[in-house]
Amino acid sequence: MKNIKSFFCFILLLAWFGETQAADLTLSNWQWHGFLSQGIIDVNGSDFVSNDDSISSELTEVGINTSVQLLSNVRFATQAVYLDGGDRYSKGARIDYLLLDWGLFNKNNWQANLYIGRFKNVHWLYSSVRDVPFARPSIILPQSVYFDGFRDIAVSGDGAALKLSYTDDSYGDFDVNYSYGTSPLSKKQGQIILSKLALGDVKQDIDSQASFYWRPVFSSWRFGLSLLDSDFSYHSSAQDYFADGKFSFQFYTLNALYEGEKWEFSGEIYQERFVTKGFYHSQFLQDHLGQGAYIQTRYKLNDDFTLLARYEKFYMDKEDKKGKQLEIDSAGAVPHYFAFQNDFTFSLSYDLTNNFKFRLEHHWVNGGARLTPIVLPNPLINNQQHWQITALQLMMWF
Amino acid sequence: MFIWLFHKDMFIKNISKLWLLCFLLIASFNAYSIDIITHPSVKTKSLTTAQLRRIYSMRQLFWHSGSPIVVFVLPSKHKLHQKFTKKMLRMFPYQLDRIWNKLTYSGVGTAPIVVDNAHALIDAVMKTTGAIGYIEKAPINNKINIISIKG
Repeated sequence: MKNIKSFFCFILLLAWFGETQAADLTLSNWQWHGFLSQGIIDVNGSDFVSNDDSISSELTEVGINTSVQLLSNVRFATQAVYLDGGDRYSKGARIDYLLLDWGLFNKNNWQANLYIGRFKNVHWLYSSVRDVPFARPSIILPQSVYFDGFRDIAVSGDGAALKLSYTDDSYGDFDVNYSYGTSPLSKKQGQIILSKLALGDVKQDIDSQASFYWRPVFSSWRFGLSLLDSDFSYHSSAQDYFADGKFSFQFYTLNALYEGEKWEFSGEIYQERFVTKGFYHSQFLQDHLGQGAYIQTRYKLNDDFTLLARYEKFYMDKEDKKGKQLEIDSAGAVPHYFAFQNDFTFSLSYDLTNNFKFRLEHHWVNGGARLTPIVLPNPLINNQQHWQITALQLMMWF
Repeated sequence: MFIWLFHKDMFIKNISKLWLLCFLLIASFNAYSIDIITHPSVKTKSLTTAQLRRIYSMRQLFWHSGSPIVVFVLPSKHKLHQKFTKKMLRMFPYQLDRIWNKLTYSGVGTAPIVVDNAHALIDAVMKTTGAIGYIEKAPINNKINIISIKG
């Protein structure tokens, strides 16, 4: 937070400098946008949103952002959001990004930008809009990639990011992204991921990500891949159930997107490696290789109505897809269905106007691998292998 | 017999004319006349479809002269915007919306400026240095340039 404040002061100084330098600052140099959405969500059979099975209004997302062109190649941009998603993430306001965008060069076909400050994750297929209700494909995204428990860690990072874009008139559009930084983690966020019994502090030590995207010239297809390497540490408190620990997370994805006039197809296939050292006790060591994929289709009935269907399959350990070993290792304390999570989703979106959208969706879920807390699952509340989500959301933006 | 042949010849000629008329009518229904317009400060007089697409997908932010490009558009459900996107850029309006939403809500760039109607769009292009826009039939005056699109 202290770093953010210092950075904000620096931005204000730079803004003043930019104001004095750039004589031609007009309204086109300043933009502001936002979104407001409220919905209701009903979860039966899990604590995905809350511990009780009643209909909840904890589906609020509000955001406002601004972008100011300070100099011809320097821009300031920030976005603040307020979220209430029940137990999916901690309730309250946060800064999703606050950055200086320095245009290193911009020729006809080449573009290179350096982003310094709190930058947003743009590496996965929907990561750049996962927090923007009307821009993402569904109210609840595929949890194996866009896990709400990791939301604040995955949405943005503090450090620097580089983007290089090249457009070739014969071969198409190429984008390369690289980012290096860390995300601050609140105590509440740490407990959502680990356990409410974890009284210590979780810290992200480093997060390094890269991605590559290619769209062939005038094509409806786009292909991408992303790589992530991240380390976390747990610092136990004086009276703690857990020991100090280190977590290492590597995540690789391949994705494809087809955008036709009526039909759209997209999918991501991924592998993750999660290594735990310590935490349960000082000698503990666990190395899991998880895998998954989802395929999604959208069909535009007309200019206003869009249908979506998606199937997602995920397991935490490719050597224990059905969770038998998980049950044995925990002496029956953790049921087998915490080893996987499959989700079939069906959704309907209706554009009321250019800036209003309504969405209704239903999920049929099998398994609990993405129910929080994931490190120490809670089978007392999440005692059903099959559970469902129904949600509807009204969104407006400007 | 001669009369029949004469009439047959006339009939064929008339049929040919009718076909030509039908073709022209169909062609005129399919024809679109969208002009790409810029502020008079813009020295560029022609663009390729690929360049136009780069500009509207915000992958080219500066003119050849080095001055910044200011892009104006109509709302995504506006008929002219839909026609412009499909015919001139060979894209679908929702694809552009996604590109612009990604830029706007992730801080990595800025989206075009949306104006309410065609009249406001011409007005904005006339008043803004480096501006580009599109219009069904551009008025001929010295306050805007019309850009030719090649390829």
